[in-house]
Amino acid sequence: MARVSVRRANIARLAAGAVALAYGLTALAVARGPGALTTYAGQSDLAAALAVVAGLALVVAGVATSFARPDGRIGDLALLAGFVWFAPFWAGWNGGPPLILSLGTLAAGFAVPLLVHLVLAYPSGRLRSRGARVLVAAVYLEAALSALGRALFRDPFFDPSCWENCTANVFLVRSLPRVAHGIQDTDLWFAAATAAALTSVCVWRLARASRQTRRTLWPVLTGGFVLAAVTIAHSVALDRMPLEDPTDPAFVSIFVVGCVAVIDLALGLLWAVASARLQRRSVARIVAQLGDAPAPGSLESALAKAIGDPELRIAYWLPASRRYVDARGRPVEEPLATSSRAVTPLVRGGRRVAVVAHATGIAELEREIGPAVRLALENERLQAEVLAQLHDLRESRTRIVETGDTERRRLERDLHDGAQQRLLALSYDLRAAGAASEGEGDLETASLLGQATGDARIALGELRELAQGIHPAILTEAGLGPALATLAEAAPVAVEIGETPGERYPAPVETAAYFVVAEAIDDAARRGASYAAVGALRHEQRLVVKLADDGSARTSEMIHVADRVGALGGRLEIEPTTLRAEIPCA
Amino acid sequence: MRVVVADDVMLTREGIVRLLEDAGVDVVAQAADAESLLREVRLKRPDAAIVDIRMPPTHSDEGLVAAQRIRTDHPEVGVLVLSQYVEPSYAMRLLEEHPERVGYLLKQRVFDAAVLVDALRRIDDGETVVDPTIVARLLGRRRRQDPLAELTAREREVLGLLAEGLSNRAIADRLFVTERTVEAHVKQVFLKLALELNPESHRRVLAVLAYLRDERSS
Repeated sequence: MARVSVRRANIARLAAGAVALAYGLTALAVARGPGALTTYAGQSDLAAALAVVAGLALVVAGVATSFARPDGRIGDLALLAGFVWFAPFWAGWNGGPPLILSLGTLAAGFAVPLLVHLVLAYPSGRLRSRGARVLVAAVYLEAALSALGRALFRDPFFDPSCWENCTANVFLVRSLPRVAHGIQDTDLWFAAATAAALTSVCVWRLARASRQTRRTLWPVLTGGFVLAAVTIAHSVALDRMPLEDPTDPAFVSIFVVGCVAVIDLALGLLWAVASARLQRRSVARIVAQLGDAPAPGSLESALAKAIGDPELRIAYWLPASRRYVDARGRPVEEPLATSSRAVTPLVRGGRRVAVVAHATGIAELEREIGPAVRLALENERLQAEVLAQLHDLRESRTRIVETGDTERRRLERDLHDGAQQRLLALSYDLRAAGAASEGEGDLETASLLGQATGDARIALGELRELAQGIHPAILTEAGLGPALATLAEAAPVAVEIGETPGERYPAPVETAAYFVVAEAIDDAARRGASYAAVGALRHEQRLVVKLADDGSARTSEMIHVADRVGALGGRLEIEPTTLRAEIPCA
Repeated sequence: MRVVVADDVMLTREGIVRLLEDAGVDVVAQAADAESLLREVRLKRPDAAIVDIRMPPTHSDEGLVAAQRIRTDHPEVGVLVLSQYVEPSYAMRLLEEHPERVGYLLKQRVFDAAVLVDALRRIDDGETVVDPTIVARLLGRRRRQDPLAELTAREREVLGLLAEGLSNRAIADRLFVTERTVEAHVKQVFLKLALELNPESHRRVLAVLAYLRDERSS
């Protein structure tokens, strides 16, 4: 449905363009013929050529923009401005039909309001700031009131400054020359004020815009600036010389520059259409450039390059976990629109695939991204989803190991503060009881108690070893170096500790490194080794733990060690009698 | 002898206090954390402080830190650190700065009144006390080329007692030999192990422990 109505609107615009062409050329004929004395176009060939080019450029730009952006108002505004642009031609028709002359005079007043609206609404077609909305409304209102006042009260025969239509005003109700003159003065200074306001709004927009937006704004806004300058010059000139004489060089130059400004504006619109087309083509080419197996994130950089916005970011939507991730599956914040960043949701098959955050001023990104790019986006989204799951899995694996280690530390502390203390107290009581029995001469009981004391001491020793095996307190308190030294002193094989890091690492890293060595030494002992060399050294962002022994070839896969190292994103290399673990430590 | 006892576990602390009082030692103050321990030592000026290695707030090495503070601030006060860890590095840390008048004993041993009181007396005499279990672990460590194999059984025994911090006289008493014989053994041990320190020096405990822990001797 939407497509049909778009097509219909485009046909209407094309027709309007054709009509405008005929109408513009007819207007030229009028200006060169019967209006020769009262129009700039009639007075100079250059003015004529520029005036016609300017009007037709607006029409062409309007139609082209409409085709490129069927939903925007910019094309229609340009088309309408093109029509109104020729109004003075008709108004200056000496001896022409009074109705046409009167209508021409009224319509001519709307050329500047339409152009102001066009500049301010560019590129989206909407007036985004309050200032712009107020300005455009005021300009239209003033033009309407002025037109109404002039139609009702201005009798051209009583107007000494009349040159354009000294023949007729069919709407005249009552001739009030003073009122008419007042309206003309008001128009003059209102136009100058509008021009100043337009300039400041445009400067403000440029100042706030991102680099990307500025690039889109410039071509059209320069036209706006020149137009504003010309309007002010025109007001000043009219104030000094109340008679607007199309042969006066000052007025002619103002007219010529005005035409150039309008041509510039129209060219700016055409340039925008052309660059949008180029951009769409380069976006469409992305997929071909990506190849069969693009690396995660290459779509983002390709799109950023095609659009010309290095800050462009794609956030993929994962419906299952209801969050956004980047191409590598890392969680990202939901992109939000700001004054300089726009957010375009991309949908495929009715489902949200991703959200693109880009510079404002890249209009219609949603439309620019064709089906092929959308498919590529969906592929990358799936890849990102898998990577995100992998990431989650890795994190949960790390958490499991860390939880285990925390539990081990707690267990060790509980043993130390609980069971060990109670056993100590018990052995004290046993000893005291033994001493008492001995004092009373009950040697049998004393001997039994003495034996119990010995048992308690053995239990204490075993408990101590157990606690040490669960989690060595020295590892937490003094770090890997001292803990490995202690491990070596109690090891069942001769262990030589080479270099160990003096610095401390996060607890999970130290614990992993410690248990890698502990398990590897046990494994070496099981394989009949008499000697093991251990070294731990930081290599860039990794803690590298190495172990070599003189035992028989390894048969165990060292699953525990591999799990522990893997949980921290590290790597384990196992050879028959050597082992090397790399644990990320930064 | 006047001592201060510091241990955050009341059960253990009171056990130690009763044991000491039964043995005729005057316990002048008790403390449950390092801060009150340091205050009591400052106020009571005891002959020695018995300090649990693990005390609040972090239950890590507060006792060890407090012990070092006491040795620095009050050189005349001896310190006996009690620990549940057979951890030579802790013992070394304690001895490193002030090797005299300090001791590191495993906690389970202190319920033997004779051991505890003997340790206190040795500390009071200016000696060093290192728990035999720690020394045994260091001596028993597996070594690839064991320089200790060069020692005779008696020399090994002397080395162990040296490491425990005994004076030549105490070693002589323990082994039922003359002090002269002990001196000869000590010289021999130092010679065989290529230890350069003067065997008479009071820092020899530290030297022997360091030697036994040293990688190159394994």
